[in-house]
Amino acid sequence: MTEPAALAGLRVLDLTGHRAQLCARLLADMGADVIKVEPPAGDDARRIGPFLDDLPHLDRSLFFWFYNLNKRSLTLDLNHSRGADILLQLARSADVVIESYAPGILDRLGLGWDTLHRENPALVLCSIAPFGQTGPWRDFIADDTVLTALGGMLYINGFPNHAPVRPLGLQAYHSAAYYGAIAVMLALLARDRTAEGQWIDLSMQEATAAATEHIAGAFFERGEAEQRRGTLHWSRFFRVGKCRDGYIMHCTLGDWTSLIEWVKSDGKAGDLDSPDYQQVMYRYLMAEHLFDVLDDWVKDYPRDELLERAQLLRQPYATVRPPEALFDDDQLAARGYFVEVEHRELGRKFRYPGAPYVFNGTPWRVSRRPPLIGEHTGEILRDELSMAPQALAALFAEGVI
Amino acid sequence: MPAMPLDGVRVLDFTWVVAGPVATRILADHGAEVIKVERKEPPQLGNRKLGLQCDLNRGKLSVALNMQHPRGVELAHRLAAKCDVVIDNFSARVMRSWGMDYESLAAVKPDIICISMSGLGHTGPRSSYVSYGPTLQALTGYTMLMAEPDGTPAGYGYSYADTCGGYTGALAALIALWNRHRTGRGQFVDLAQFEAVTSVIGPALLDIAANGRTQPAPGYNSQEGPAAPHGVYKCRPLDGDDDRWVAIAVRTGPEWRRFVTAIGSPSWASDPQFRTLYLRMHNSAELDANVSLWTAEHSAEDAMAILQRAGIAAGVVENGIDLCARDPQLKERGFFPAVATARGTTTNVTGIPFKLSGGSGKVRSIAPEVGENFDYVLGELLGLGRAERDELVAAGAVWP
Repeated sequence: MTEPAALAGLRVLDLTGHRAQLCARLLADMGADVIKVEPPAGDDARRIGPFLDDLPHLDRSLFFWFYNLNKRSLTLDLNHSRGADILLQLARSADVVIESYAPGILDRLGLGWDTLHRENPALVLCSIAPFGQTGPWRDFIADDTVLTALGGMLYINGFPNHAPVRPLGLQAYHSAAYYGAIAVMLALLARDRTAEGQWIDLSMQEATAAATEHIAGAFFERGEAEQRRGTLHWSRFFRVGKCRDGYIMHCTLGDWTSLIEWVKSDGKAGDLDSPDYQQVMYRYLMAEHLFDVLDDWVKDYPRDELLERAQLLRQPYATVRPPEALFDDDQLAARGYFVEVEHRELGRKFRYPGAPYVFNGTPWRVSRRPPLIGEHTGEILRDELSMAPQALAALFAEGVI
Repeated sequence: MPAMPLDGVRVLDFTWVVAGPVATRILADHGAEVIKVERKEPPQLGNRKLGLQCDLNRGKLSVALNMQHPRGVELAHRLAAKCDVVIDNFSARVMRSWGMDYESLAAVKPDIICISMSGLGHTGPRSSYVSYGPTLQALTGYTMLMAEPDGTPAGYGYSYADTCGGYTGALAALIALWNRHRTGRGQFVDLAQFEAVTSVIGPALLDIAANGRTQPAPGYNSQEGPAAPHGVYKCRPLDGDDDRWVAIAVRTGPEWRRFVTAIGSPSWASDPQFRTLYLRMHNSAELDANVSLWTAEHSAEDAMAILQRAGIAAGVVENGIDLCARDPQLKERGFFPAVATARGTTTNVTGIPFKLSGGSGKVRSIAPEVGENFDYVLGELLGLGRAERDELVAAGAVWP
């Protein structure tokens, strides 16, 4: 028996370009009906690789696939007045519109907040822009790397006196997408009481700045700028060490006595068995020396053996693994994390990363593979707007859909 | 005060360190009454009235219950029965050992929402693993792929696993609440931070799964389509600080032409080796060296302004002082709001990255000291009289 989805009954129009597509995906995964509205030439994400088998094609972009699982695709030329009019009709029965145009563009298309709100007072509009809808940088442009720079996320990675190292995995975009989904849910919860929609003004720069836990605290507490410290974590309780066959992450927040008994039994404790190190504050102060001693201890261990033994002692150690290892991870496998998604037209199945959370009542789910370009245009316009076959054919001939 | 989206929602918050508190601070900023259940004993994780701990715990209430004491546990149960959401970030066994797992709580309050933000999840052979944000990042690939050009891990200056885990937790709570409004039903959410942060590695995971390709450390290669120049470039020192950089991203042909004009059309830019995007990427080492000649003559701020005026994506690689005190955009939008301290002064905290036209979220107050809201929580909420409260303190079940 299929459980009902958490967000069943929620209709979302996703107008975002490649920077903000995770936002609506998070809602689609929980059961919202998300219609991805693309220009007739295809969403910009479809031109971004990697591509399946390295063959560039609008329907083979793995970048597009990742962000558009569980959505339907409607191609619509919003620059055409008929296209904008169709969007407005769809917006009348939608709950949420999510967009990431440069500020002001939606207005120019005749689809700004005032119009949408007048046509459907209950609609929530979420605008995701690099710097938000106001301020001196409102019209500046940015990609993920520039946003991580301006959000303070980039400066603090890497070794002192070396160039800063860029964060992995489009974290500025992903942080903004999560905040966007949070903001949409907040506006929907408020709507349950007020019956009114709201306009959300989300700044990707701010979402990035909010995603580093400690920079603001260090500044407002001590007036300091956090610096790059190599692999020594800012808390000074973690550092990367090198084993015989790879890297591990040390952690000195576990039970110190049992850790040091183990190191001692290997004859490698040096001065770490001094009672001073029982105090967390002393370990904090002596972090560089302490990790040097522990590095010397782990250097002959195979990393997986070290991890197993450390975790048996409840030491929060970890191996430093490449992402490929996730596909062989027994914990993820036991929890059914990766999910097979069939692409019937290709005659193939692919393993997609799965749920970020397991809801026991209304589970995360895959309801459809990412859409081919314009795959659902006809059915959406026919079913939702009762368009006659001749009208659809005319729109198609004119290039509006 | 205008109504907030989560007015009337009460959250019992067992979380600590970073990820959990990030989740509940989002709820508190939007109207939820968040009651932290804490220990009055060390370890204290720093000053609660200033800096990181204030940032994480602002707008919340705190009660210090001794969960080693049966009557402390009983008080927690009574509190849970008055809450909509119970949230923790312990490993699976902890809440169960107190009888505060979802099944037990739902027996008393059927529509309760329980969110457990453990490291590796409640099931599976490694559910008992102990972890923190930095160790989860190591297990997922982030630590390894943030590397020097020779592949040496170069360090991750923050814990994305924590903040990302926090957003995931907040989103889970909101989705569950929305669903409860419609169905009247609560539920249990088993949120493994390991899985949450794995999910946002992004398209690279599909490249592994579908193309079988090993992922190299990306360095400054664009992760969103071809670009060159693309990276950080060293700038003129600012007040003796020579750790100044500007990030630049140039993609299309028109962008390249605007970029060349903006930097004064130097002769190297017309070299055939930089004629097409493909060639600019292929010869990026040469290109980057040339771009650095230009940035070295400009402050990071000037370089950004010149390029942005020409319609090129560029930004100062902001340090903490740039971010919190100098950035004109964040200042204009009031991103680091001031909150009043008990001494009549103010301190600033990280703001909320979105505004709502019907009334934005708000940082309501500075973080509470551990146990600060003893009277409200035990007196007003649980209706315990003075004598009863004193007796519980004497018995060691709560800390005043």
